[in-house]
Amino acid sequence: MRPRFAVTTACLALLFGQAAQAQSPTPGGMPPPPGMSLAQSNAMRFPQPIRVGQLLGRVVLQPVESQTVLGHIRGVVRDNQGQVLVVMNFGGFLGFGSRLIAVPLDAMVLLGEATEVAAFTPQQLRRFAAFTPSGTTPVPAETVVKVGLAKPSH
Amino acid sequence: MRSRVRPNDFSSAGAFELHRPLIKSLERRGLLRAGLSLGALTLLTGCDVKRPEAVEAALLAISRMNDGVQALLFDPNHLAPTYPEAMILRPPKFNAYYDVMDVKPVDGSTWRLELAGLIAEKRPWTLPDLQAMPQRSMVIRHVCVEGWDYIGGWTGVPLRSFLERVGADLSAKYVAFKTADDYPSSIDMATALHPQTLLALQYGGDTLADPFGYPVRLRMATKLGYKNPKWVTAIEVTNTYPGGYWEKLGFPWFGGI
Amino acid sequence: MKSPASPKSEHAAVNRVAHGRRLHPWPVRIMHWINAATMLVMITSGWGIYDDDVVIRGLHFGQAWRLGDWAAWSLNWHFAGMWFLTLNGIAYLTYGFLTGRFRERLLPIRLTDILHTIAETLRLQIAHEDLTVYNAVQKSLYILVIVAGASQVVTGLAIWKPVQFSGLVSLLGGFQAARLIHFAGMTVIVGFLIVHVALAVLVPQTLWAMLSGGPRLPRASVRRMGSEP
Repeated sequence: MRPRFAVTTACLALLFGQAAQAQSPTPGGMPPPPGMSLAQSNAMRFPQPIRVGQLLGRVVLQPVESQTVLGHIRGVVRDNQGQVLVVMNFGGFLGFGSRLIAVPLDAMVLLGEATEVAAFTPQQLRRFAAFTPSGTTPVPAETVVKVGLAKPSH
Repeated sequence: MRSRVRPNDFSSAGAFELHRPLIKSLERRGLLRAGLSLGALTLLTGCDVKRPEAVEAALLAISRMNDGVQALLFDPNHLAPTYPEAMILRPPKFNAYYDVMDVKPVDGSTWRLELAGLIAEKRPWTLPDLQAMPQRSMVIRHVCVEGWDYIGGWTGVPLRSFLERVGADLSAKYVAFKTADDYPSSIDMATALHPQTLLALQYGGDTLADPFGYPVRLRMATKLGYKNPKWVTAIEVTNTYPGGYWEKLGFPWFGGI
Repeated sequence: MKSPASPKSEHAAVNRVAHGRRLHPWPVRIMHWINAATMLVMITSGWGIYDDDVVIRGLHFGQAWRLGDWAAWSLNWHFAGMWFLTLNGIAYLTYGFLTGRFRERLLPIRLTDILHTIAETLRLQIAHEDLTVYNAVQKSLYILVIVAGASQVVTGLAIWKPVQFSGLVSLLGGFQAARLIHFAGMTVIVGFLIVHVALAVLVPQTLWAMLSGGPRLPRASVRRMGSEP
């Protein structure tokens, strides 16, 4: 029975390991080419108007076929330079052990009812400093912002 | 022969680089026979692995049979469920066979809808011409073959009214569409005449935005998303099977929901 | 050819069967193996379709696991296999009801018998000398997988034609709900498959029985009410 158990475990590890890599042969939401600013790449994605209130609570996905959940949008703030940042809880498991980080709105895209982070990989997001509210002001829910689009990843 | 609808300029080098994996993948998929993965193949006894073309041909034959079954299941009097306007997703979900940066916006003031085939009045239409026709609105569920869906609201000219106005042969089999993004599509006449098939000009009460097909897209409530072309530039009524972009790659033609 | 059942006494119900009938008659064996092949096609092509928009975020099936290396061909396999699955399934259900095989093989099931068998299994005391007797857990699992198979067809129809079968979709709780139930049904069937194949490998006589027909059933099998079937 033991060798069969080992094979089964290996198969399951292979199966779920695939999810972690999740190579997308036809990706959507790819990062801007080197040298291009976030604002420029957002402008290329036909940004569409959306009320800030509609963004709150939205899930944030990784732009890969397995659509890994990176976190959820907890707030939208403006920093002292006027840049709009999306505050999301990132990391952890099912809400435990996550921390708040602030991602520039221009780094994100809309994907139907969800959002994706296009400009940063999860590895890069992990190195973001924890979000501190000082120096930022929340953007009112009625404010309309413009967010770029992306096609689904496969 | 130069296509009337081919874009005049190619993508910028940067965008091309970005999509190299996509292009490679499309090339691979176009050439790959039967799309079988070896792992699963070994489970099939009696399957001739050396001639996957035969398997592919058999699957496509069954797919064509399924088109016939779908045509039988299509009830021209059955309306798709509709929903309250508050449920409309704004903006809707974008999809194409390329990412959104490669959308080529159409100039509505110079846009013309060309007509061809079994149509009596083949004079091209302008956008104001279409806007002058009686419009219908519907809030329906968009279902993508990929598996996702959303509630969307479209306003436009019922395709039936349009076809009647231009003297189309309503006993013909197919209505075919050409688009500004090289995405041909075609549908059966029964679906074309369905009350929830529109030449859509608006989404959610506003003019269609560029990424969503401005100035005109086809919007049906009874077919999967990929059957609804955006940036329509020509309509043809014909009895010759016109096919479509995804059908060439193996997807079913009827695509009904 | 079956002789008529004798009148039930208070303590025994007697099944008279014709001498020489095998545990798995040839129609059962043919339908079983058609179903096995078709099920594998449906499951693996279904995984391929699933990948196009995952139902459970974070979970996707790699290339080695899917039939059809991308959506178009997974769909084509799935929409071809569905005919074999459904037609073979209808034939099997018709056979099972009309010949009385379901009643004979799968009923009755008592909760006490199920608990008893689970306890025995956990003590590794599974008895398989007599292939012609299904224990209570076996019967339950076979009924479960038949129901799951039928559910896959129903939810599959709902997903395939959510507008033409809009009433069915509403009953199921919506389009995404139907997708989720379809995925859950697949999970049940795969779980059954793992147990089923493992046991067939552990007790190879059962595998041979499904190929050759298995032991002949006794002339009369007697079931007393309240005892282990």
